[in-house]
Amino acid sequence: MIELRSLTKRYGATLAVDDLTFTVTPGHVTGFLGPNGSGKSTTMRLILGLDAPTSGEALVNGRPYASLSLPMRKVGALLDANAVHGGRSAYNHLLCLARTNDIGPRRVAEVLEQVGLAGVARKRVGGFSLGMKQRLGIAAALLGDPEVLMFDEPVNGLDPDGVRWIRDLMRTLAGEGRTILLSSHLMSEMALTAERIIIVGRGRLVADATVEELIASHPTLEDAYMALTATSVQFGSSR
Amino acid sequence: MRAVLSSEWLKLRSVTPTYHAIGIAALMVALGVVWTFYVSGLTAERGSVQAAAPEQAFLPLIQISLVVIGVLAITSEHTTGMIRSGLTAVSRRGALLLAKAGVAGAVTFVAAHVVILITYVVSWLIADDRPLGFNETVFSHDLPILLASGSSVTVLALVGLGLGFVTRSTAGSIVSVVPVLFVLPTIAAYLPAPWHTRVTALMLPNLVPQIAGQRPSRGFGDSFLPPWGVSAMRQGYAVIALAVGFHMLRRRDA
Repeated sequence: MIELRSLTKRYGATLAVDDLTFTVTPGHVTGFLGPNGSGKSTTMRLILGLDAPTSGEALVNGRPYASLSLPMRKVGALLDANAVHGGRSAYNHLLCLARTNDIGPRRVAEVLEQVGLAGVARKRVGGFSLGMKQRLGIAAALLGDPEVLMFDEPVNGLDPDGVRWIRDLMRTLAGEGRTILLSSHLMSEMALTAERIIIVGRGRLVADATVEELIASHPTLEDAYMALTATSVQFGSSR
Repeated sequence: MRAVLSSEWLKLRSVTPTYHAIGIAALMVALGVVWTFYVSGLTAERGSVQAAAPEQAFLPLIQISLVVIGVLAITSEHTTGMIRSGLTAVSRRGALLLAKAGVAGAVTFVAAHVVILITYVVSWLIADDRPLGFNETVFSHDLPILLASGSSVTVLALVGLGLGFVTRSTAGSIVSVVPVLFVLPTIAAYLPAPWHTRVTALMLPNLVPQIAGQRPSRGFGDSFLPPWGVSAMRQGYAVIALAVGFHMLRRRDA
């Protein structure tokens, strides 16, 4: 369970996240949508305590992230697949993270197997494709077998096989009763994966509804998204 | 805390720059060999020479190469973005900083002392009984300055780490450490008397000889620091840099 209460983050004159209140509940995948620069990644960083909110709060299972001991066992996150040291092997990268939360090497081998990187575990991450790095990032998120998982655009760079794999993985994880917050720009993919959708635009909440509700009023999820965010697009050609 | 330390230890030994830095520091042994053979050759024509001890003459080489270990411990995480995974895994930021300081401090302490002692022993073996100046003492006399030299490397590495937390940039941190080592002491020497000796005595490179009760240079005067003052200054450099680093780490968004 992730709860945001009037979460606000201001960078100088820019309001990146503006009075955001919503709850991400367990048992299903919650899609997190919004145009570029709408505050999705900032919101995720705020939830993880990486950035401090200007006002409001973000709680994970009722507590601020920074107050969790062994946080990886409660929350797993993939923010940026490229944020890895290219000189380190996949195995050592995961083991570095695992050790901080008293997670053993056996679990590292397990998640590497689960994401399909067991064969390249000893290879340097610098040589990985974006798709392989996404898998590595997902492995890192899964290390602590957490109840709450957040993924920021994990589908980017994956091949069709990988896209389907992520879809199945997300649904499986949600089916196990976990809380899943998944951001993506691929609407067709989101329609297949998510049950609930949260849309933000210019840092504000635009919609918090089920996929069913959204496609009841529009032909597809993409059309619903386009209609809802029409006034929120900051970067791009007019449409 | 033990878990974070073991993670930082693995971070350090699972990337190659660590080994490059130690390898470059170890070049001091080779330079010491060349130096000792060179000055030994001079004794043939002059009878005796007053040569500097190689582990003192080449100390800046170890200082500069190992300071990189302290700097990279944090700046490599900022340049790659790994810092966000790191702070997600360890949300107590002070623990992350302390673990990095502990590991970088221990590694540079051991590496520096090993290289310095090997250089010392090898140069003495090569010098044999030729009077080269630096080999006309006894080991117990030289030990304090050997330890002071080794510790100065760790202090610099920790200063580099602290500055790394502040600047978040590898180049920025290294460029900030170099003045501490080479530029400030030179400027201090040009201050009006008696401040030039007072300030020079506080400069990090000049703390090394003072620990052994020696003057940093001729014409230095007698105003050098008492032993406790030297230790306090030396630890002060590291503590202040790390405290500023911690302040920035806690205050800023990752």
